[in-house]
Amino acid sequence: MSAIPQKLDRPNPAVKTVKPLQYYIGVTLRYVLLCAVGLILFAPFILAFLGAFKTDAEIIAYPPKFLPVHWLWQNWVTTWNTDIGRGGTFPRWLFNTAFLSVTVAILEAIFCSMAAYAFARMKFPGRDLVFNFMLATMMIPGAVTLIPSYVLMSKLKLINSFFSLIIPGAVSAGGIFMLTQFFKSIPQELEEAAFMDGASHMQIYKDIVLPLSRPALLTILILQFQGMWNNFLAPLLYLNSADKMVLNVALSIFQQTYKAQWNLTLVGAMFNAFPVLIIFFIFSRYYIEGVSYTGVKG
Amino acid sequence: MQGKVESAHSHPTLAAILSFLLVFILLMVIAVINAPTMGGPKGLASAATYLAEVKHTALPFLGVVTVGAIALGLVVARTVYREWPNKRKRTTLLAAYGFLAPYLIITLVFTVGVILFAFYISFTNYDIFTPPQWVGLTNYLNAFKGFVDSTQKDFIQSLYNVLWYSLIVIPLQTSIAILLAVMVNAPVRMKQFFRTIFYAPSVTSSVVITLIFMWFYLKTGYINFFLAKFLGIFGITWQNIIWQGDPRGLIQLIVNAFGGNIPSDQWYLRGPSIAWMSIMFQNIFTTAPTFMIMFLAAMQDINPTLYEAAAIDGASNWQRFWKITLPLLRPIILMVIVLGTIGTLQVFDQVYLATSGGPLGTSLTPVYLTFREAMGQQGPIRMGYAAALAFILAVIIFFFTFLQRRMIERGTEQY
Repeated sequence: MSAIPQKLDRPNPAVKTVKPLQYYIGVTLRYVLLCAVGLILFAPFILAFLGAFKTDAEIIAYPPKFLPVHWLWQNWVTTWNTDIGRGGTFPRWLFNTAFLSVTVAILEAIFCSMAAYAFARMKFPGRDLVFNFMLATMMIPGAVTLIPSYVLMSKLKLINSFFSLIIPGAVSAGGIFMLTQFFKSIPQELEEAAFMDGASHMQIYKDIVLPLSRPALLTILILQFQGMWNNFLAPLLYLNSADKMVLNVALSIFQQTYKAQWNLTLVGAMFNAFPVLIIFFIFSRYYIEGVSYTGVKG
Repeated sequence: MQGKVESAHSHPTLAAILSFLLVFILLMVIAVINAPTMGGPKGLASAATYLAEVKHTALPFLGVVTVGAIALGLVVARTVYREWPNKRKRTTLLAAYGFLAPYLIITLVFTVGVILFAFYISFTNYDIFTPPQWVGLTNYLNAFKGFVDSTQKDFIQSLYNVLWYSLIVIPLQTSIAILLAVMVNAPVRMKQFFRTIFYAPSVTSSVVITLIFMWFYLKTGYINFFLAKFLGIFGITWQNIIWQGDPRGLIQLIVNAFGGNIPSDQWYLRGPSIAWMSIMFQNIFTTAPTFMIMFLAAMQDINPTLYEAAAIDGASNWQRFWKITLPLLRPIILMVIVLGTIGTLQVFDQVYLATSGGPLGTSLTPVYLTFREAMGQQGPIRMGYAAALAFILAVIIFFFTFLQRRMIERGTEQY
């Protein structure tokens, strides 16, 4: 052991001079703690998932049992086949939610990156003014624009039209801010060379900046997809006809209609939670980057 | 604008006039769209009836906007006039505003226009179906009427509720977030896996979380079950309660335990109700992981040599956390506190789904109240009053944002 003291320094802490037993206890404790907290944080999903298989009686029985006595797959079928008339079916709500989330995320990535490119790369009169104006709008609480937006939407006849969410959702000050910061961090040499060769701003933006900023764009896409998917208040106001509802709004109606049939509501909740959770599990790196970025910088 | 480039190639005056007209017309269209009219089914029948209505009800509003539009138009025209002769500056100007156009137009219509409208109607009585009537500051004063008239205490009570909410939720969520961040920052295998699991409650829709917790909070739900089990260990019998329907306040419970009583006209002494605290708990559950990520990012920015130096000096893990990590996190802690405050002031989803502001108004929040008044869910539609409430809330939030800026500046100066 003493023959190779330098190698012992880092890679194998178990052979350190510290008592091995103490070390192993420390490591084990660490994992036990992590698993326990992880279990607590994930418990609602597990319990709700199990609850989604219970019978009407079992779901509100006391004391509750963790596992369903009979695994009732029928709940999932019943929820999927929900039909409240006038085109209000469960698959339709799922589609509405997915359609809106994808559309808004893509539009936002396009328009925000365009504006961010202008802010980060061009010198024009009024730039700082517009940028500060944008920062100011970020501070406006949603509650202030809530009611007047509803009035405006009804005037534009956009109530119960997807455009009521797509148009205002297509840009966001936070997204522009984040991308502006990102674009500023990309080296400019390539663009300058292209500019010398006579490339237009549109070409530089499309052929150089966008390909270079794929991770940032992906972050925006994911955050906006999640934001729209989880949005409740705006769809509650603007989309209330049976065939235009999104899943979140439908779920609140579900809960009011099914009352004690929590098993069905929970199935709906699972349908709502799974897509976002799956996307999150795949792209968690981008999520975490985005949150820390917008949070710390904004 | 792009199309006019060729014809105005060397005519700065023409370009200036055209850009003035463009800005002016754009702003006026936005103003007309956002004008405070009746907006009811009749007014919306056609563009002509709508314009007639605008003429009837919204001329003062349009007048103010016109002055602003002319001023902005002149500024723009002057800039264009100056930049136009230089080809490179001209191209940049056109390209830049071309790139910004989608953002600017959408924001002007759906944020600025809408806020102007809201500001105007906050001084009026407005129910969408009849023309707005100017009432001056009445709406703003009515919001605080609860101080003298306990039948109109809703807004005061909603502020009282969010005050308790902030006092309880923010310290808890911030400290839990730091703890979680320390845990996932530890050198373990499958770091990414644990982070992902820890963060899961934050990415899920608040509607889903609220529904799951509503089920947990039932009289026969898991919360009662676990409490009964847990207290059973100490030989205490737990009486199941309906968490989200229980108006008894925290202070009231303590006073009751000592045989006292707080009458209902002194609701403000009762403290946060059980229903309200149940929503707090569920909210901590989702916000703590969000803030955990921020702390995690900040912790990873801490220079590792600091820890190595401390380790050489024989500092324990505990000392390293208190003497290095925590002081260096100070700016982020302050920011999380204020972001948390802004968030807690705007609670809506949970209240709408789980309690509708009840029981006895103990879970009313300003945003929920705004929604309720504007939609006429309890009594008549009172858009003007709702707008006034929203502006009061905005002022409170601005105050905290301002505080945040100051604190962060001071916090970063020190390190």
